[in-house]
Amino acid sequence: MSRLRRDPREERATHRLTDGGRPRWGLEAPPASGRLRRDPRREIEAARVPGLQRLRLDRTSRSIIPVIPSPVEPLPKAAPTIRIVEEPAFLVAVVPDAPGGRLTPLDRQLLGAARDLADVAGGATLVLAFGTVDGLGLAGADRVITMAGGGSEDPSARAIALATALSALHPRHVLFPESAKGGDLARRLVARTGEELFTGAENLTGKLVTRAAANRRIEQRMAPPGLMTLAPDAHSPHAGPAHEAREIPAPDVFPSGGHGAILSVEDLPVAADALSLAEADFVISAGSGIADFDLFRALARALGATPGASRMVCDAGLMPRAAQVGASGTVLEAACYFALGISGAPQHLQGVARCEHVVAVNTDLHAAMVERAGLAIIADAHPVMSALLVALRAEAQE
Amino acid sequence: MKALVLLSDARHPVSGRPAPAATELQAVALAHTLADEVNGLHAGPDAEAARGALGHGLTRLEHRQLTAGDDPLPSLVAAIGTAPPDLVLAGPRAGAGAQTGLLPYCLAEALGWPIVADAVSLAVADGVLEVIQALPKGARRRWRMRLPAVITVHPAAPAAASFALGVARKGQVVETPGLPARIEGPPVAERPYRPRPRLIASAAAGAGAAERLKAATQATGPGGQVMVAPPPEAAARAILDHLRAIGVLKPAERG
Ligand SMILES: Cc1cc2nc3c(=O)[nH]c(=O)nc-3n(C[C@H](O)[C@H](O)[C@H](O)COP(=O)(O)OP(=O)(O)OC[C@H]3O[C@@H](n4cnc5c(N)ncnc54)[C@H](O)[C@@H]3O)c2cc1C
Repeated sequence: MSRLRRDPREERATHRLTDGGRPRWGLEAPPASGRLRRDPRREIEAARVPGLQRLRLDRTSRSIIPVIPSPVEPLPKAAPTIRIVEEPAFLVAVVPDAPGGRLTPLDRQLLGAARDLADVAGGATLVLAFGTVDGLGLAGADRVITMAGGGSEDPSARAIALATALSALHPRHVLFPESAKGGDLARRLVARTGEELFTGAENLTGKLVTRAAANRRIEQRMAPPGLMTLAPDAHSPHAGPAHEAREIPAPDVFPSGGHGAILSVEDLPVAADALSLAEADFVISAGSGIADFDLFRALARALGATPGASRMVCDAGLMPRAAQVGASGTVLEAACYFALGISGAPQHLQGVARCEHVVAVNTDLHAAMVERAGLAIIADAHPVMSALLVALRAEAQE
Repeated sequence: MKALVLLSDARHPVSGRPAPAATELQAVALAHTLADEVNGLHAGPDAEAARGALGHGLTRLEHRQLTAGDDPLPSLVAAIGTAPPDLVLAGPRAGAGAQTGLLPYCLAEALGWPIVADAVSLAVADGVLEVIQALPKGARRRWRMRLPAVITVHPAAPAAASFALGVARKGQVVETPGLPARIEGPPVAERPYRPRPRLIASAAAGAGAAERLKAATQATGPGGQVMVAPPPEAAARAILDHLRAIGVLKPAERG
């Protein structure tokens, strides 16, 4: 051990006062030799890393120089950094579905994949959107072109517009989602232009794309071709800094109608209460905190939501078993989940995991469902349901 | 009215034996809702799977013989050109092979006919075809178009007719040589399928069970707004405004 051994006799001898006959010791004087006494408070003050609100100690330098603690100043809020690709070497085009101007999870994954393809060699991502879309910069888009004719839902007209735009832009890759809408558009486009299409890519890197074929018995792989559709949940969305999503003018596309034989295309109203839970987009769900199920069903009808329930309610026979949400019921794909009087057991929350928005009404502030919700109301659900019905009826009469 | 159903050289998804694809049989059933004559067409080396569709209501199956690896499109266009039907139906994907789902689109383009994907019901009124198309999340879209047209069928269409041996025996198969056409395209490497994990929100590797459960059940995103004991009217207004802001509820029409 490097520590000096104390010799109490010697220490005592240093304190001895030599003023008289009688032996006397002056204990207030510090011992002339040996180790200093440690002051842990001063050491901590010295090791403190200045400038941070949270206490952090740096014990690597074992100096005991007293540091006057600097008054902690509030951290400057970091300005959101935006990555700008000024002179892209090439473009990776993305054609998102974006129903109602909002990116779907698959659209975000698509932009993440496009980002990776572009970042391999200093390219930029380009979104070809029919109509305005929110949140493109955060999802990783460098350039945005709003295509004319966004109002027309006829995909044959869109395919013609896309074909002319792409022939003017020459992107290195064009990515479509392998969804009902995106897959249809991509196939119409290649049928028209005669290009190759790699459908349903399940793995996508700068060097290789992979897809399943022959009922998932074989997989086909090749270097990424020009046109690809991406399968759901095959690529992670962009997680880095936001990109600028700069609006650039669309190339001249002569507005053309769709196929001449098509007379009309119209969307039919959806009967929400006839939908199965797995298909529904907006689910309102009752838990064992709900007693008045007539009121609950009336509210579901007024909101145009598909009714669901927790297992407690289904077990009690108050709602059909097909309405059960959760691990042993239906795993939802809905965009919004409205939970009334549901505590949010893990088995229930698994069914809600893929919902983007959750609204909860519960009497318990500490329920797991309240923690999961984007908007939580801590109140009895029944008056809130009645007030919602009244407000909706008042709006309908206006 | 005459309808033609395109049949692929399908394999059963589990056993791997030749069997007609489920959506192609649904296409036969859907064609029977408006056509009095429903024929089948297959171009390829072997029509054993397509032959299986005879028992589900096909009157006649035309088989254009090709060698393995030939492109069926020119043979199909030629077969349709000799006796044009009013309606061509197909499944969304072939029951074997590359399963890109491109063939109906290329066929429609080659014929110059309109195409609608994912049909669940068909109706005809004075030469105008009305197609109900299934979209995700239970939405439906109605298309009206002049015949002839190419339609692909969604799995949510009415179920196929069950197999009847007598009908299968009566159905006739016409064998004709097809037009050989090699497929050109970039080289595609093939190997046995390796399932990949689907991407799910997952905690970092080595996280504990509690964190993994949390990652599986909780959505990432900004923490929510909490209103404690508001008056019911204020709560209702906040909920309606929130639902409108996220776009699940249509904006109220105000006069
Ligand atoms: C193997 C297994 C599988 C399971 N699978 C599922 C499944 O798939 N789906 C499922 O849902 N459950 C499932 N469960 C059950 C699950 O663990 C919970 O028991 C169940 O989800 C609880 O339902 P709840 O939230 O309706 O009831 P509770 O947990 O009793 O919660 C009621 C909530 O309502 C609130 N409340 C009470 N009164 C009011 C009021 N007047 N107004 C507003 N709020 C009020 C309370 O504060 C409480 O938070 C499963 C369990 C097991 C063991």
